Amino acid sequence: MGATPTEMPIPVDWYLYLSAALFIVGAAGVLIRRNLFVVLFSLELMLNAVNINLVGFSRFHENLVGQNFVLFVMAIAAAEAAIGLAIATALFRNRQTLMVDLFDRMKG
Amino acid sequence: MTEKILFIVFSVLAVAGGLGTITRKNVVHGLLLLVFTFLNVAAIFFLTQAYFLAVIQILVYAGAIMVLFVFVIMLLNLRTFEQEEQTHRRQRWIAAALSVLVLVEFVVVLAGVTFTSVRGGLTPETMTDLGGGTKVFGDALFNNMLLPFEVASVVLLVAMVGAIVLVKREKTAGGATRAWEPGERPTPEALEEEV
Repeated sequence: MGATPTEMPIPVDWYLYLSAALFIVGAAGVLIRRNLFVVLFSLELMLNAVNINLVGFSRFHENLVGQNFVLFVMAIAAAEAAIGLAIATALFRNRQTLMVDLFDRMKG
Repeated sequence: MTEKILFIVFSVLAVAGGLGTITRKNVVHGLLLLVFTFLNVAAIFFLTQAYFLAVIQILVYAGAIMVLFVFVIMLLNLRTFEQEEQTHRRQRWIAAALSVLVLVEFVVVLAGVTFTSVRGGLTPETMTDLGGGTKVFGDALFNNMLLPFEVASVVLLVAMVGAIVLVKREKTAGGATRAWEPGERPTPEALEEEV
């Protein structure tokens, strides 16, 4: 990278704007779409937005704890994806559909 | 300057990929656009000198997790639920409008805040002074964060066991739920009766 020492780094605000945009896209996906898979994708999008925030502030404050947090968020995202997909599989087996509107009761 | 231009380019591509993810009708297309978004986020991590996280983002997120999604989508025989969202048409527009509203709120709030830090921010030079990004990252992870690290491994184990338990077919004895034949589509009335 052609970064010279005198060059100003990317301002932290930019990370926040990007993160806000990605998070809103994810939230809109959860609200708008009815397909369980797309809802799970949107959750991943929101988690990624949070990661961008953490990395941006980690660099801003020269503190690597933020980057360590990102690793934990990724671990939790992996666990969430595994459980979510298992639930999707079980639901599809019982209902032959993945439209979240149809999943409106806890029983059966 | 180059960094800033690259940041803008990758940001725009990431948000565009995200928008594509939530608007595609075909789930597999949405998934591929999501992988595209993750690759752009990895590039942004790289620009931020978070080299290790950039690699992990590609390996774990774009690689492992997304492959898991692809496997399950294929496993569930996608063609049976292609038609979508005939219900709640009005709710979709309200949700979209509210999302835009919240985005505007975010931008207004962020525009009114100035962030100050006592340090100048990590640059490739300060990273080298600290002994290389990944080394510092590992030092912090295995000293300060050792307990959370171990807890995270237990969480992953629990998730693995939980996924197996959830997907395992039960030996139904008495009040068994009805198993649908492959290709059979229950009507909403049948689903009501089942309960």
